[in-house]
Amino acid sequence: MGSSSGQPEFDYLFKVLLIGDSGVGKSSLLLSFTSNTFDDLSPTIGVDFKVKYLTIGEKKLKLAIWDTAGQERFRTLTSSYYRGAQGIIMVYDVTRRDTFTNLSDIWAKEIDLYSTNQDCIKMLVGNKVDKESERAVTKKEGIDFAREYGCLFLECSAKTRVNVEQCFEELVLKILETPSLTAEGSSGGKKNIFKQNPAQTSSASSSYCCGS
Amino acid sequence: MICCGLMWKSGGEDLQGFYPVRPECQADVPRTRFKSRAGKTLSARRWHAAFTEDGHLDMEKVLRRIQRGGIHPSIKGAVWEFLLGCYDPDSTFEERNKLRNRRREQYGAWKEECKQMVPVVGSGKYVTMAVVLENGKPIDDSSVENQGWVVKNTVTDERVLQWMLSLHQIGLDVARTDRYLSFYENGGNQSKLWDVLAIYTWLNLDIGYVQGMNDICSPMIILFDDEADAFWCFERAMRRLRENFRATATSMGVQTQLGVLSQVIKTVDPRLHQHLEDLDGGEYLFAIRMLMVLFRREFSFLDSLYLWEMMWAMEYNPNMFATYEELENRNNAAEDPKLLKRYGKFERKYVKSNSGQNEQHRNTLAVFVVASVLQTKNKRLLKEAKGLDDVVQILGDIAGNLDAKKACKEALKIHEKFLKKANRQ
Repeated sequence: MGSSSGQPEFDYLFKVLLIGDSGVGKSSLLLSFTSNTFDDLSPTIGVDFKVKYLTIGEKKLKLAIWDTAGQERFRTLTSSYYRGAQGIIMVYDVTRRDTFTNLSDIWAKEIDLYSTNQDCIKMLVGNKVDKESERAVTKKEGIDFAREYGCLFLECSAKTRVNVEQCFEELVLKILETPSLTAEGSSGGKKNIFKQNPAQTSSASSSYCCGS
Repeated sequence: MICCGLMWKSGGEDLQGFYPVRPECQADVPRTRFKSRAGKTLSARRWHAAFTEDGHLDMEKVLRRIQRGGIHPSIKGAVWEFLLGCYDPDSTFEERNKLRNRRREQYGAWKEECKQMVPVVGSGKYVTMAVVLENGKPIDDSSVENQGWVVKNTVTDERVLQWMLSLHQIGLDVARTDRYLSFYENGGNQSKLWDVLAIYTWLNLDIGYVQGMNDICSPMIILFDDEADAFWCFERAMRRLRENFRATATSMGVQTQLGVLSQVIKTVDPRLHQHLEDLDGGEYLFAIRMLMVLFRREFSFLDSLYLWEMMWAMEYNPNMFATYEELENRNNAAEDPKLLKRYGKFERKYVKSNSGQNEQHRNTLAVFVVASVLQTKNKRLLKEAKGLDDVVQILGDIAGNLDAKKACKEALKIHEKFLKKANRQ
């Protein structure tokens, strides 16, 4: 449905992967980003996928975003999707502590095991900030985790759409700043390799470990 | 439950009323293509006429109808019980009533057993937070939501612990199962779904709870008023599907079916298979969801039920009931051609070709339905798919655009072609 009206040209194709515990809102985050809607989505079976076209600065980007099932039974299947990803988003639910502790216990390890891109950009996202009264993980904890594991960090709400676009945009900006990743991303696309313009950041807050 | 009483309009009545969709979700669900058609769909009248006075059912006649036009929503549940082998069409009303009561009691006993371990079972509520720590120790900071349900003493029994640890996952999934249906706006219905899944999990710890079971179970909860009846229907449906859900350290059961799919496409459409292989999709992982939840996500609610009953009718084997009940009196159709008519179209072919081996082929119609879907997208896949992402996107377009009956028909054709080619090799 939706976005497939013709195939827009693009300069870069980036593969992004969403991982994290069951029910933290990975699919909702993706839906919120790609079609501006929020819904109670059925659990993801295996792997799902959506495309989003973005223009950042002068560059036209195609994001192929893979959304994985959270239940650990599916891990033998989802592991093969880490291959070649330029960006990986780890999602947790700020109202469920176990989804946060599992990041270091499980998900960070999965990335080490299966990611093939040394320079792959990682991003930590705490979802469901609309339920502030039920919060069980502080923002500081998220920031500390991100610092320790060298990833970007944001808190967002797929429901209210707060920071949803920023999640993906910051990730993409960081990918664009990384020569080894842009080289790869453009080779798969239709156009040939363009110049790499490092670190031209138009958006306001794209420093490491930022929040808003 | 909405039942009968609705008038029959000629040329197909509006059936949406049977499974109302929340008004705010109307735009998000695939449109329903199923229409009840006079002379094709198994109607309530035809169904009731298929019984003798003491309750023997003319299954042959019933199967013929279902394979032609599905089942009218007003009788779906009752017919499914026979399609799935809950009951023997060669039994009387009285025998079946007895069996039903026995099964209800049995379910009640299991439920009680589970309730003893975790009192939220059967309470009309359900949990979405862990009730115990992974090491079996009680959770110290019991949040408000969980108070009363959390386990108070350390759990030492491995099986019990394993079960308890799956309960919140079931809850997380129940909370978002078919949320677009008005039926699940009712918390009681959600707990019913949770109870059935929790009890099923307790009885099937070798596989445990796996996401997707909720999609299979949800229609049963809607079709049956009685929770125990819903459970048994689900249990029978899972007999056919459960191996798909079995996970080991290195693989998932559904991959066996993916292997068959790969074999089938390689045989009937070698070019497509080669193309998929070139795209690193030779494992057919993109078909997992279709097989695990039997196309629930590709069809509207009513259409997926239509597809299921069509498939089950085609796969119908008159020995199913005896096999499940572990009875001895099975018929051998290979020796009696008259009995062949009592098999579904798909199953019949296996019985005819090699009666001994059909066990391993059982329930593979779904694989052929996937193959038929791939075939309908063959041209686009070959031309446009330059990566696995394109494959998934092209297949994603089938949502709401697939006709269940056509898909089954095509599946049978591919099956035929496959058998022919495979035999030649």
